[in-house]
Amino acid sequence: MTRTRKPGVNRRATLAMMGAGAATLAMPWVARAQAKTIKVGMPTILSGRVAQLGTSSRNGVMIEVDKVNAAGGLAGRQIEMVIRDSKGQPQEAARVARELVNTDGCELLIDAEASSGAFAVHEVARDLGVLCIHTNSETSALTADPKQHIPNAFRTARQGVHDSIVGGSYAASISKAKGLKKWATCAPDYAYGRDTTGEFTTYLKRFAPDTEIISESWPKLFQADYTEVVTKILQAKPQALYSCLWGGDLTSYIDQANIYALFSQMEVFAVNMADYTALTVVKNLPKGIHSGNRYIKTYPATAENAAWGDAYKAKYNEYPTNWSWENATAIMLLAEASKKTNSADGKKLAEALRGLKIKSPFGADGTVTMRAEDQTLVGYAIGWGTTIPQEPYVPQVQAGDWKTIFELEAEWKKSKGYT
Amino acid sequence: MTELQAERAAMVPRSQARPQRWRYLDVSIALAAFLVLAMLPMFIGSKALLDFVIRCSAFGLFATSLNLLVGFTGMVSFGHGMFFGLGAYSFGLIMQRTGVPVPVAFVATLVITTIVAAVIGAICVRLKEIYFAFVTLAFQMLIHSTILSWVSLTGGDQGLRGGIPRPAFFGIDLTNHVHLYITSCALLVTGLLLMRQIAQSPFGYTLRMIRDNANRASFVGIDVWRAKLTIFVLAALFASTGGVIMALFVSGAYPEFAYWTISGEGIFINMLGGVTTFLGPMVGTVLLLILNDTVTRMTEYYGIVLGIVILFFAIGLRKGLMDFAVEWYAQRRSGPAERG
Amino acid sequence: MDLDTLTGCLASSACLVTQTTSGFIIGMLLFLVAVGLTLIFGVLKVVNFSHGAFYMFGAYFAMTAYQLSGSFALAMLCGAAGTALLGLVFERVFMSRVYGADVLMQLLVCYAFVLIFDDVVRMIWGPEFKSMGMPSAFQVAPLFIAGGVVPPYYLLLIGVALSAAVILGLGLARTKVGKVIRAAAHNPGMVSALGINTGLIYGGVFALGGMLAGLAGALAAPVRSLTPGMGFSVLIESFIVTVIGGMGSILGALIGAILIGMIRSFGSLGFPLFTEGLMYLFMVIVLVSRPTGLFGKEVA
Repeated sequence: MTRTRKPGVNRRATLAMMGAGAATLAMPWVARAQAKTIKVGMPTILSGRVAQLGTSSRNGVMIEVDKVNAAGGLAGRQIEMVIRDSKGQPQEAARVARELVNTDGCELLIDAEASSGAFAVHEVARDLGVLCIHTNSETSALTADPKQHIPNAFRTARQGVHDSIVGGSYAASISKAKGLKKWATCAPDYAYGRDTTGEFTTYLKRFAPDTEIISESWPKLFQADYTEVVTKILQAKPQALYSCLWGGDLTSYIDQANIYALFSQMEVFAVNMADYTALTVVKNLPKGIHSGNRYIKTYPATAENAAWGDAYKAKYNEYPTNWSWENATAIMLLAEASKKTNSADGKKLAEALRGLKIKSPFGADGTVTMRAEDQTLVGYAIGWGTTIPQEPYVPQVQAGDWKTIFELEAEWKKSKGYT
Repeated sequence: MTELQAERAAMVPRSQARPQRWRYLDVSIALAAFLVLAMLPMFIGSKALLDFVIRCSAFGLFATSLNLLVGFTGMVSFGHGMFFGLGAYSFGLIMQRTGVPVPVAFVATLVITTIVAAVIGAICVRLKEIYFAFVTLAFQMLIHSTILSWVSLTGGDQGLRGGIPRPAFFGIDLTNHVHLYITSCALLVTGLLLMRQIAQSPFGYTLRMIRDNANRASFVGIDVWRAKLTIFVLAALFASTGGVIMALFVSGAYPEFAYWTISGEGIFINMLGGVTTFLGPMVGTVLLLILNDTVTRMTEYYGIVLGIVILFFAIGLRKGLMDFAVEWYAQRRSGPAERG
Repeated sequence: MDLDTLTGCLASSACLVTQTTSGFIIGMLLFLVAVGLTLIFGVLKVVNFSHGAFYMFGAYFAMTAYQLSGSFALAMLCGAAGTALLGLVFERVFMSRVYGADVLMQLLVCYAFVLIFDDVVRMIWGPEFKSMGMPSAFQVAPLFIAGGVVPPYYLLLIGVALSAAVILGLGLARTKVGKVIRAAAHNPGMVSALGINTGLIYGGVFALGGMLAGLAGALAAPVRSLTPGMGFSVLIESFIVTVIGGMGSILGALIGAILIGMIRSFGSLGFPLFTEGLMYLFMVIVLVSRPTGLFGKEVA
């Protein structure tokens, strides 16, 4: 380097250019040539408060990818998963998803992001046209709203509206049997919490018209302290409480409500209770909390499901989560679609996925279906039961009826102006 | 000319002695930089590189504008990210709801930013030092909670969904990747050039005087409050432009854009690049984004790696990279002379 | 908005008692974290952005100790002592290097440790959330005071926090060590000229601050879930508390913490969707009308 003696801008510009030069060298921008393996990109959350979402999604994917690869891969091409952390930020999720496709040469995307990240990845899929399977977002609008619809995006996750229909009808039947008229709700203040609670109360009132909501609480997502929420509910003296808090928030809530003896004063319906992440963590789990199933190896009560849960536990030393089965299902569907088309091409796979029905340990009747009209998963196991503090945690699950779900879902879509 | 004005003029001789030469030089450098950037897609087919430059434009404008406050005026704002978010949301909402052409929405976004920044600034700039930092942070959190709570307008935590429509204008189609890239570069270079002009203008030297000694500045007749408010609003405009680029890039706007972590990242970028040179924040932006992109590729323990890098800068170098480089260079130049 | 519920509550003694105690409970844990923050700022002039990490470590230490020993008292002790040690090391090895530097550099070092500590916790204890569980001694029916509900565990919590406040206040005002600390806060040069080791004082104050945050974490562990990054929301709230109360003022931290507790407790009745926003609004109002906070001293 020559030493210039010009002051000011030139010197700075030189340094800046040196910096930029070094930057270009440091960046792995050179896309590698397409190999025989097929790369599948997966943006997810591996750090921060919901890192569990990412790790258990990854586990769910990997357990199936290993099986597919052992059986010869997707149309003869071994799957190579490229899994990246988005840190839970939508703009990072979008960036990572774009990079996975543009730089790493991923031909398919598994989007294992939570809600807002999923919408950001959805825009990337719209832009790049790559086949994308959303596995974790339960926000119904993602697939129900025709404005969101793109031919290359699918969803293999539960959906808020399905849960609420089943939850509402289950709660209404308990409500009638026990005379629960006054209800309170307590949900995290974000889209999932608001939508799910709104839909639940709609269907509760529909099935049991004499119920009323007398108190609503909206703690923040990841709030540490629920004391004011617990006491507010106690003040209102409801006969039953509905909550869609989940994960660590739910366990905090239970611990804090326990010392106020809240659970002895009302029937509690917590849709996200029956998930191993919450069940195994809470030390003093109150008996008799009503909950929807998330993933539980005893429901559906089939040998396949129990075997899948046990294999997962054997491999990762913990039970699967709701996200695990949703991500595993994405791989199962891809494998089946590729078998049918004998191809790993995104467009052909998408074609085959529409309306595809596969055998699945997580299906209500042993199968799940990728519904063609809105490209979202239906027919998965969905039901409610009450908890006990030790395994099997939810001994009896009352299955939801998919016929009712379809009817009411169609009605719901109409009311939202989606159809 | 009053005595005070004369004194003020005397205190800023550098900028007035050779303003034209500086300006021409700046403009030609900016033009050259833009040409180089604009020709890049012809030689390098990597979409990821273009993405990278687009993100650099968004964060670079944001971080450089923050440095107008932190480095040039000595106002440490912890809430600058609110204008980044405001820009993204205003632009996205206007495009989604009204369907006006992109330039109109852009100008409208700047108008909205001016109004909001003027109101918030009028309240904040009275406070000094750490209290200014806190009150800006509080406003940021207030705006963030408002975005989260006002679901009917902002979509709450889900952000603006369904993509931002961007009809073509003057033959520019922002749905096209290369067009978006060139537009971002143009905004970046223009923004940097304008900020450079602000920094080198007499007003820019007034700001430095306020930073070094606000009391003295007011003794010589400078309305410190007004000067601070002006730069607060100007900086907000550039941050807002950064937000617009980000909104175009992700085709949406999310509450995270208005969260305090964006402000934190801005400050971090400034510390990384250095606050005493004009291009320091730009260098910091490039560094941080490369660091972010490469480290997240390699490990999920991103925090530890980033933390150690920060410690290296904060405890090892004790200054930003550009500051360090400039000092090192100055020493190298003066070193032989002293010895010889 | 739901002002009917709020006015209805203000008219009923049962509700008033319950919500007031719940405000105290929220406030007292915040106070323990915030008082350390304010103490460190008062003496070291450092805004300890990594303070939330001490709260987190306190909780994790307590949980591990409780799982190993089954003793609640030992768990609390481990939480407090472990974080005190961590604070001492952190201050001596890292923070002491940036005292002369820019405020932003200090913030940056703290920020680096927020990132590092969160990942360290994730490496040691795993990414999933944990729960310590309530010791059986406290698994009893809540008390009823004037119609309001008060769990015994929370009485203990309020008691511990209040005694910490009293001990700190008296200790700083009356004891010799307290006087030296206050002197070091005013004029460190003079104190070290008198032959007193300021490094020791700084390290001690940081350890004390860390210990109080750790104790808060340990006390919270039985009722709050433990995750990496759990210190964060607590940190933000305790910042609000210290800023409202006045940076450097212990009384300010106490009053600020109780005020925030009350805002949360009664705000959740009247403004269930904007409780968080209320806190920031209150902070803005205080800062604008009294930049140094309610009990802060005017800066020259």
